[in-house]
Amino acid sequence: MLARTPVMRGACELDLLVFLHRHPRTLLTNERLAAFVGYEMKQVAKSIEAFIDAGVLERTQNAIHAARMYVLVLNGPGDGGLTTLLKLASTRTGRRDILQILRPGQLKTAVDITQGKRRLHAIA
Amino acid sequence: MQSPESRTQKISGPEPDLVRTGIAGLDDILNGGIPRGNVILVEGSIGTGKTTLGVEFVYRGASLFDEPGIIVVFEVSPDKLMRDASRLGWDLRKLEQQGRLKIVFTTRDVLRQELQQADSVLLEEAASIGARRIFIDGVARLVGGTGTPDSRSGFHVLTEGLQRENLTAVLAVEASSFDGNSSTSLPEESIADTVIRIKMEDSQRAIVRSLEIVKSRGQDFQMGRHSFRIVDGRGVQVYRRVQAPRKASRDRAAALDPTTRLTTGIPGLDEITNGGYFVGSTTVVAGISGVGKSVMGLQFIAEGARRGERSLMLSLDEQVEQIMRNASTIGIDLPAHVKSGLVRVEYEPPQEIEVDVHFHHIEELVKEFKPKRVLIDSLSTYGSSLGTTGRIFRDFFHALVALMKEHQIVAVYNHENPEMLGMNSMMGSFAMSSLVDNIILMNWIELGDSFRVGMTIAKTRANPVNRNTHECEVLNGHGMRVLPRALPALQRPFSDYAGLVSRTPERRSRKVEPDESGE
Repeated sequence: MLARTPVMRGACELDLLVFLHRHPRTLLTNERLAAFVGYEMKQVAKSIEAFIDAGVLERTQNAIHAARMYVLVLNGPGDGGLTTLLKLASTRTGRRDILQILRPGQLKTAVDITQGKRRLHAIA
Repeated sequence: MQSPESRTQKISGPEPDLVRTGIAGLDDILNGGIPRGNVILVEGSIGTGKTTLGVEFVYRGASLFDEPGIIVVFEVSPDKLMRDASRLGWDLRKLEQQGRLKIVFTTRDVLRQELQQADSVLLEEAASIGARRIFIDGVARLVGGTGTPDSRSGFHVLTEGLQRENLTAVLAVEASSFDGNSSTSLPEESIADTVIRIKMEDSQRAIVRSLEIVKSRGQDFQMGRHSFRIVDGRGVQVYRRVQAPRKASRDRAAALDPTTRLTTGIPGLDEITNGGYFVGSTTVVAGISGVGKSVMGLQFIAEGARRGERSLMLSLDEQVEQIMRNASTIGIDLPAHVKSGLVRVEYEPPQEIEVDVHFHHIEELVKEFKPKRVLIDSLSTYGSSLGTTGRIFRDFFHALVALMKEHQIVAVYNHENPEMLGMNSMMGSFAMSSLVDNIILMNWIELGDSFRVGMTIAKTRANPVNRNTHECEVLNGHGMRVLPRALPALQRPFSDYAGLVSRTPERRSRKVEPDESGE
């Protein structure tokens, strides 16, 4: 499932997508958005560009001020499992499992990876 | 000089374009809806139901009236809003998918800037779905804090932005100053077109919600504080205050039929009431507990069923099962009548009755079931629940009488008079006998070593009345009957005594009265 979601590269992308999933139509400045998800503004801006390029996010902006309207684009069963992944990531365990797979180098044992994969597989 | 008729004539103009809120009961007190384009301020403290009311306004617009809408939230995440809405039976997600609703999460700073711009992204979003309604949840800090010097001008900017798009807007504002009886007003109220104030109020250790239309430009509305509830699966339910004027037809309907009577169902009573109760009349049966009022009531209901007339019994004293059992002991098969659809028995516990809600329930029952007879058991329980000293009880009873008359229902109200022997007043502290057409006094009368039951017709409006006291008896399996004045039996008839109701029964010398046929 993660393989079908190339935009999901790390914690920032994951948390940003979870936030946008909870707030699918949001009118915010990048600064405020970064504050809501708790990452550097630069990192958030980069992730957003990646989401837009991948077609999972639409952005409307007004030239006069900094706020942008972000609309998450999920297409139900055809969204490559992104909705399922985001539902999973909205729980503490689910988020940790996904992050373990995204950042295997930071895991302590191979057993953790296997367990995480099993849980993800079971839910997906 | 104008004639009185011409002075009262309404000036006809173009029909106003009213936005129906779709919220149960609210459009009634708004006399149809709110003029399109109005900016509606909903003010109240935390937890009063502002968000629910605002969301329902948009939801009903999109789902019932083909008016797409926008909901703007600052603190609540849209997924929680959708979750809470689904509990109330509203599928916001589906409306979003259908392009009839957009829920926008933003900050107050951003929205403030947005609404000051002609090419606002938010208003573009609204236009893209043809939005006609908008709800903004929590405008107080958006416009600089409630009641601050900046708030009025900030609010003005906000309303101008919304009016540019011809959106009918509900703006929720938190205002703790409306707790209790404070009547402090917000500066924003003068700018808003419609102001709805909602409150949570203490009512004898219970908390009840109330809603008041403080003002609404371009329309008439029902003033005063109305009750409302938030009901799972349904949403907001507004109940017009019981004192509010109803349709003029309600008063006009009184005494529509001055000749038809319905039989009472109590052997012997029709004879002394000139053939029964008039259609649309109000009868109070007053007497101490155990004297036979409920038995009489059950016979009245059963008589209706026997004649194929729909009859409704509203009980605050006994639960339905108990009423069924009581009925069977006097030979009435109430479950069979209920099954046949001719009788309905409703019980409502008297604790914490919300009078507006309760009256609404009765009104709906009457409209839906269309009974010809209604028995209310008992008026005194209403009195102890609502209190008899203020106006609430009197206004409630007045509204009830008017409702029954409008529908030409014969209504019988049982009333427990606390006096055991005789009576000093017909309705005790209730002081409402002027609203009642017939009053039947039921008394214990102590003769020798036993209590016997006496019935006196104290009042029958528009009827000649003989105020003799008649003896009654309740027979197992048969119910109550009024005994003839001259008894062929061994016991002395009441006609042999004087002072029965004034607690000083004395035997008098026997002489045959012309009306004592004994038949």
